[in-house]
Amino acid sequence: MTARMENIIGILLAVAVTAATLAFGGKALLDVLMRLAIFGLLALSLNILVGYTGLVSFGHAMFFGLGSYTFGLLMQSGAVSIPVAALLTLVAALVWGGVVGMFCIRLDDIYFSFLTLAFQMLLYSIIVGFVSLTGGDQGLMGGIPRPPFLGLDLTDPRQLFVVTMAVFVTCVLIIRQIVQSPFGFALRMIRDNAERARFLGLPVQRYKLIAFVLSGLFGSISGILMSLYVSGAYPNFAFWSTSGDVIFMIILGGITVFLGPLIGAAVFLLLNDNITRMTEHHGIVMGVVLLAVVLGLRKGFLDLLDDWWRARAGAVR
Amino acid sequence: MTVRLSIVGLMKRFGGVVASDNVTLDFAPGSLTAVIGPNGAGKTTFFNLITGKLKPDAGQILLDGVDIAGRSQSEIVRRGIGRAFQVASIFPRFTVEEALTAAVLTHRQQTSSMLRRFPLPLALARAREIMALAGLERVASTPSRFLSHGDQKLLDIALALALEPKVLLLDEPTAGMGPEERWQMIERVQTLWREVGMTLVFIEHDMDIVFKIAQTIRVLRYGKVLAEGTPDEIRSNADVIEAYLGTSLEASA
Amino acid sequence: MNAEALLGCFAAPACIVTQVSAGMIIGMLIFLVASGVTLIFGVLKVVNFAHGSFYMLGAYLALTVYGASGSYTLAVLAAVVGVGLFGTIFERFFMSRVYNADVLMQLLVCYAFILILDDVVKIVWGGDFLKMGMPREFALPPIKVWDGYVPPFYAFLTVFAVAIAVLVGALLRFTQFGKIVRAAAVNRQMVSVLGINTSLVYALIFGLGSMLAGLAGALAAPVRAAVPGMGFEILIECFIVTIIGGMGSMAGAFIAAIGIGLIRSFGSIGFPLASEGVMFAIMAIMLLVRPAGLFGRKAS
Ligand SMILES: Nc1ncnc2c1ncn2[C@@H]1O[C@H](COP(=O)(O)OP(=O)(O)OP(=O)(O)O)[C@@H](O)[C@H]1O
Ligand SMILES: [Mg+2]
Repeated sequence: MTARMENIIGILLAVAVTAATLAFGGKALLDVLMRLAIFGLLALSLNILVGYTGLVSFGHAMFFGLGSYTFGLLMQSGAVSIPVAALLTLVAALVWGGVVGMFCIRLDDIYFSFLTLAFQMLLYSIIVGFVSLTGGDQGLMGGIPRPPFLGLDLTDPRQLFVVTMAVFVTCVLIIRQIVQSPFGFALRMIRDNAERARFLGLPVQRYKLIAFVLSGLFGSISGILMSLYVSGAYPNFAFWSTSGDVIFMIILGGITVFLGPLIGAAVFLLLNDNITRMTEHHGIVMGVVLLAVVLGLRKGFLDLLDDWWRARAGAVR
Repeated sequence: MTVRLSIVGLMKRFGGVVASDNVTLDFAPGSLTAVIGPNGAGKTTFFNLITGKLKPDAGQILLDGVDIAGRSQSEIVRRGIGRAFQVASIFPRFTVEEALTAAVLTHRQQTSSMLRRFPLPLALARAREIMALAGLERVASTPSRFLSHGDQKLLDIALALALEPKVLLLDEPTAGMGPEERWQMIERVQTLWREVGMTLVFIEHDMDIVFKIAQTIRVLRYGKVLAEGTPDEIRSNADVIEAYLGTSLEASA
Repeated sequence: MNAEALLGCFAAPACIVTQVSAGMIIGMLIFLVASGVTLIFGVLKVVNFAHGSFYMLGAYLALTVYGASGSYTLAVLAAVVGVGLFGTIFERFFMSRVYNADVLMQLLVCYAFILILDDVVKIVWGGDFLKMGMPREFALPPIKVWDGYVPPFYAFLTVFAVAIAVLVGALLRFTQFGKIVRAAAVNRQMVSVLGINTSLVYALIFGLGSMLAGLAGALAAPVRAAVPGMGFEILIECFIVTIIGGMGSMAGAFIAAIGIGLIRSFGSIGFPLASEGVMFAIMAIMLLVRPAGLFGRKAS
């Protein structure tokens, strides 16, 4: 499929879903789709690292937290409009991702996971500790002002929904483009055999850093959408359990198929909501499901499909 | 005689083991050379030193007169020394065609593009050329991890070819193959060398192969150069006979 | 940042003694957990991300047994044996299945157990802070050191942790078991060719590492409140310690743990908000200057 066809199909699909939801869906469906878009984007952005570069970040929630808090604080300051705040948030994510990434990519394998986790917990402790600015445990209180811009009023849930879907589909298409570009295949080379890639003359470290930053940028966009959606920001956005959840989503859906993480996010949210409704002991049930997937299937759902497909067609994804 | 690659007084110690002991050797442009020697003679170490995987303790490695000893691996690759590994080093989830295209893109420094789609047509065309050269067209769309052992080694060599090296180092291209497969492989290598015209150095344990195809032979033992010369000279060299009869013959079979 | 308070403390020997002893016990607890992680990683080449949860389990087990029996000795024993057994079962039935899988899978198995154990603890012990209080055995007058006073339990904890570390070190260095373990760490195949049951060795090592976590939990119970999620906090500190100390180095972990403990304790006076930041800064500097850590041999 050519890039243009992908883009057209993606946009048409998003428009159709958005229009249908606005026409026939109630508030509940709106909410479900909005959360799916937010967590789907978060999972897809993490998969740039996990699935395509072979770097298992266990600290991806740092970008989610960073995005929502930076954006929320900027909006609460009242000094900037929504697009400007979003842009500044991206700059913040770029800087944070660049600096943290420089440390993290020095280590491989499990140590990379440690370090990302550690930096995420650093951000978390800053958020919780810096009470005067962030509201500490309570999160950003008082709501996030959403002054109209370009004729859009994001205090209206339906308009917010449309904007969220638009941002979501744009980001997904951009990520798709990135992973299908020569750069994306260079990342796959690193994932498959970094030593050999280095020997072909690929500047492996630099590419890892770029992948880290990109993944963080999209993660922070997801954070921005989240803070708009809940009109606030909470410390658990940057907590390890959020990082764990995102990895969980990725593994549920599968890491080798582009849309795997999105499917995973859908399955995860479904599971999560139902379990929360049925029992308090959410951790046990999720843990057991996770064990079943990891030890039973050993792969995500779409990975299994993909294996079967690749055995027939045989192309790297 | 013009020289492409010239090694002067190369030293490398691992604790008590001297894996490269004052090795001095020249390789002419477009030559086909075999490096032989018993297990542990320091052959792989010799390659590791040339390609920058190991830093030499002393000595020079001159590529077209420029000393590259101690430079980074990526710089040495860029200057034109390619290598395939004793154990094939490939990209398991790439198809053969994808792997070669990616290698070509890397060599042409076109991997930084995020706006275009893989594969770029020119790189793909070049990858297909290399596949034809290496005889890998039949498995073009097979994921590398499903390839036979021999094809994996061939792909490893093809990946090195993508870098258009002036010097290509092959570490035991026939290792782990059956007799028939070996000959196919070595004929492939010979054809490649003839068609591409690079300087080719290979390590090989099978003496029939070595004496049949190498123009010149270099013998290492205990990290030292024991002998060098044409196959005929080596065959009648007293030191070499002594060395191979002295050690177990299995090592040379 | 409260420089005045910090300087004030440095000027008063009593304050120094209090803070150093507090720092030492924090450091020793981190060290015990980190040494378990290091031991397991050194031999099995897997990282037990759930090790902090084992520590938590140890603390709760100790609480319960102490409450029931009134004997702290029994409480420590129960935590060590209980968590050791749990670790061995965890290794046999779960971790061993993903030894050959990639890091992601190993991490997820541990993550699943972190989720499950946190919840189990909540069900059994409730979600609130639980305190053991100073065990009866240690209801003694404080020890006078220099110009200050050290609670006897603090002194005991520090000495005991060091003794255990020395003991484990000796076990690995001087016994037949230790020889096998060290050989298995280098080359598993070779050892199993020699007719040694390496699966058993792995399970034992995992059990031993878990016992260290259980012990740390039991030692923490009198001085720290137990709460679900306490495992994760120490896990992060333990990773920082492994990175600063050098991966796989017990001596490095020991020194780094004491350092972190002291920073935590003095930081609580001088820079309460930034003590976490200082820890990370040290780790970051270490990664830049000596990526292999204090005692690490080779960068990963
Ligand atoms: N990285 C290393 N560290 C320590 N010793 C090494 C290292 N690499 C090689 N050696 C030692 O150097 C000597 C030469 O090894 P090398 O691998 O170069 O031999 P070789 O000629 O390639 O042998 P083979 O025919 O078995 O492949 C051996 O004694 C080997 O043990
Ligand atoms: Mg060799």
